[in-house]
Amino acid sequence: MVDQLPNLGRETEMLNAMGLDSMEDLFSDIPEGVRFRGDLPLPPPQSEEEILSDARRLLGSNVAMGSRTSFLGAGLYRNYVPASVFQLVTRGEFLTAYTPYQPEVSQGMLQAMWEFQTLISELVGLPIANLSLYDGSTAAAEALTCAVRVHNRKASQPNTVYVSSLTPPDKMSVMQNYCQGAEIIIKTLEHNADGTLNLDSLKAAAGSCGVYLEQPNPIGVLDEGLVTTKELIGEHTALIVGVQPVSLGMVEAPGHYGADIVVGEGQPLGSPVTGGGPLYGIFACSKPYLRLMPGRIVGRSIDVDGKEAYCLTLSTREQHIRRHRATSNICTNETLIALMGAMHMALLGPDGLHDLAYRNAAACQKAKEVLGETSGVRIVHDTHHFNEFAIEVTGSAKDCLAYLDANGIIGGFDLAKWYPEVTNQILVTTTDQTTLGEIEALSAQLSMWSTHKEVNA
Amino acid sequence: MSHLFGHNGAPNTGYSQPNSIQTASKPTIPKGLVRKNAARWPRLSEPEMVRHYTWLSKRNFGIDTGFYPLGSCTMKHNPRVNEVIAQLPGIADIHPHQPEHHLQGFLSIYFEMQHMLEVCAGMDQVTLQPVAGAQGEFTAVRCIQEYFRLRGESQRNKVIVPDSAHGTNPASAAMAGFEIVEIPSREDGRIDLEALRAVADETTAAMMITNPNTLGLFEADISEASNIVHAAGGQMYYDGANFNAILGITSPGLMGFDAVHFNLHKTFSQPHGGGGPGSGPIGVKAHLAEFLPGPLAARRTPSPEETPLAVDKYWYHWTEPEHSIGKVQQWHGNAGAVIRCWAYYRRYGSGLKTMSEHAVLNANYLRHAIHKTAQEAGVSHLFNDGATTDVAKHEFTLSMLPAKEQLGISAMDVAKGLLDRGYMAPTVYFPLVVPECMMIEPTETESKDTLDTFAHHFAEVLKVDAETLHAAPVTTPVRRVDEVYAARNLCLRHPYDE
Repeated sequence: MVDQLPNLGRETEMLNAMGLDSMEDLFSDIPEGVRFRGDLPLPPPQSEEEILSDARRLLGSNVAMGSRTSFLGAGLYRNYVPASVFQLVTRGEFLTAYTPYQPEVSQGMLQAMWEFQTLISELVGLPIANLSLYDGSTAAAEALTCAVRVHNRKASQPNTVYVSSLTPPDKMSVMQNYCQGAEIIIKTLEHNADGTLNLDSLKAAAGSCGVYLEQPNPIGVLDEGLVTTKELIGEHTALIVGVQPVSLGMVEAPGHYGADIVVGEGQPLGSPVTGGGPLYGIFACSKPYLRLMPGRIVGRSIDVDGKEAYCLTLSTREQHIRRHRATSNICTNETLIALMGAMHMALLGPDGLHDLAYRNAAACQKAKEVLGETSGVRIVHDTHHFNEFAIEVTGSAKDCLAYLDANGIIGGFDLAKWYPEVTNQILVTTTDQTTLGEIEALSAQLSMWSTHKEVNA
Repeated sequence: MSHLFGHNGAPNTGYSQPNSIQTASKPTIPKGLVRKNAARWPRLSEPEMVRHYTWLSKRNFGIDTGFYPLGSCTMKHNPRVNEVIAQLPGIADIHPHQPEHHLQGFLSIYFEMQHMLEVCAGMDQVTLQPVAGAQGEFTAVRCIQEYFRLRGESQRNKVIVPDSAHGTNPASAAMAGFEIVEIPSREDGRIDLEALRAVADETTAAMMITNPNTLGLFEADISEASNIVHAAGGQMYYDGANFNAILGITSPGLMGFDAVHFNLHKTFSQPHGGGGPGSGPIGVKAHLAEFLPGPLAARRTPSPEETPLAVDKYWYHWTEPEHSIGKVQQWHGNAGAVIRCWAYYRRYGSGLKTMSEHAVLNANYLRHAIHKTAQEAGVSHLFNDGATTDVAKHEFTLSMLPAKEQLGISAMDVAKGLLDRGYMAPTVYFPLVVPECMMIEPTETESKDTLDTFAHHFAEVLKVDAETLHAAPVTTPVRRVDEVYAARNLCLRHPYDE
């Protein structure tokens, strides 16, 4: 406490200068009936060293994924983030700035975000990107409400959007919360046994305001059928595609096959998993959506001398101007994490992104090959995957994961948490950090689990 | 200028990747999905990338650069150990889907933060899930909405906000599907109880208000306002943007509020990062707790098998509120921000009241110093207090209307003049109820000397002639930016064809 308050010990001097006698005088306007008297029932103040020591003890008791062999992903992915990203992002000029309301002294962040918009725009193949939403789930939710704002007038199914039935329930729940206020109905689209989208079920979505699909989908499947979806739903229904951004080093950008809005969890580019936040939500769109899109956006301009300069623009969509008629309530976003993303993307370049995607996918391919030959394990979808895939195990996925955990392996994600009817499937995720040795260790343990189950059966 | 897209020379990339697994297996992408044209990203070596972002950082102003009296934003110092802590693998490298026995330390910190915020706000249950203040507002009004639906009072579809409210209040309530009823403030900037009485009825779901209000004034009639809303059957919502003024002095609970959001990035010093990340937990009274988004951190006595893995005498676990509205973020909120704010709170602990006292001391001292210095410099006739009050709370407003009328100097001109003297400008033109408003919030982490010097520079700016001030700033990386040009000539990304 003492190291944070420069005026500790100068209170009397300052109060006297104002003609006041005590700190109490500063609060004379607060009625006694609402005053809190006494000390807050909290522990005493700590020094920096004590806090650090407690943090090391408490956080040190957590199992960091890197301390084990880990195949857990399911929406968040451990890619290596280069050291320079952390070094640069903690520069105080970036770290301790507020939203760039005064552009003359915020050119650094404004330009960096304009560059971020360009990097994302290029990545997903759409002309416009904002400077981030909170995360992939809120970006998807805001995309749905944006689609309704744009298409509702001409829609034969007004206030209606269609979302893949594979969408994780936690993400679906966010969508429902964001959509219910505008009375938007969310209907679901079905998938085939091989995990790809059922294109017949998509026909029902024609005339609605928007369709939300993921590529790769939540169970890791790369779905070639998505390239035909825009044709099937027509120009008055928004095609919204959720992406894993690293995949776009190899996989076609959705903007190139008709997507109107592309969203996604930006985290795998630039940010550690961090317990699920802070992350950054990618939001990009085509021109018809620009003036009804959510979030802040930077434009390139000039100063009074005609010199290149950057500033926030199109603010008339936003809450501080439009209040209850704003396109979104978002104010604080995830600028700093988006900046980490921009730095990572800048370091990668187009070839580096391809290599990063290739490493993810190669590890996935290898894992599929190895696990495909592991006794008691079945690859559920015999198709193409990017960096994760579902396996079927002997017995329940929950018990199997507990067994793997007892043997030092975070084996993946129990799909029963998403799809309660599926009790024996695990979503196995690989990233650029996955090694051959780890894949072999997983295989060996899964094989032992199967034997163990059979012996005990 | 350094342009990211001007770099296209480095033949490789900014970091070399190992190729161990690439040779082991060849991935296949469906033919129709193979990317045809790579993203036109720049090609930079690491030294070029480092220099580019260092150059950009030097064109940006943060708290570390200088005094940042941006009203309503609570731009206090960000202790650096918090950054060290947030990068420990026990937070940076954990996954929200890991089992509870992997995350005992994490869960214990979540529990401690929930508890601390409950204590400070006088609320019964906190969730840390909302990731920003505006999302906290949205979450809380959603909980209130579900509360009324379950009670069969769905006709309560209106939310009352004062005209001085932050724009996010009406935007968040509208997003949840509420109709907005705006009520005017009194002449002195405080809540008008008669106007409130006139609109509070059986259609009122909630009133959203911040206290101290956006003029930095404590709403002394707050208990009466709560009574009026409650008597009409509505809920009271506390916008915690100005919470920094009142910790340990009063609490939303004591004022009669039912729900509150916290801006952890303001009160508890999560660095604002040029626009985020933030963290916007909410706290509610017991009757709203079952509607909160889950999961919440809870604790119980550990079983014998759990004891060896426990971090203290409790076993920490997640629980789901019974009638939860569901989720507002897919995971557990901005965990990294929560950890930083935990480290910040630990620095004060039971002494959080001292933090708020110093925030209010600094604001009042600066207000006094500005008036006194301006008087001595003969420029005190160029501005007024935005609101009449003996004492302000953590921030105060000035109206530059006299300068505008007498000399043609606007609040924005003064703001730009302050930029030239090495300061971030105060918030201008908010709240809307004060003409030519400047909203000044020094926070508790500025020294008396900084405040004195700022007051001196403020008076100096007012001595400058209008023409010179219209041309300010001149010392910044760029001069006044043409925002109209930006909107009319939209250029939202690098145009490769140029």
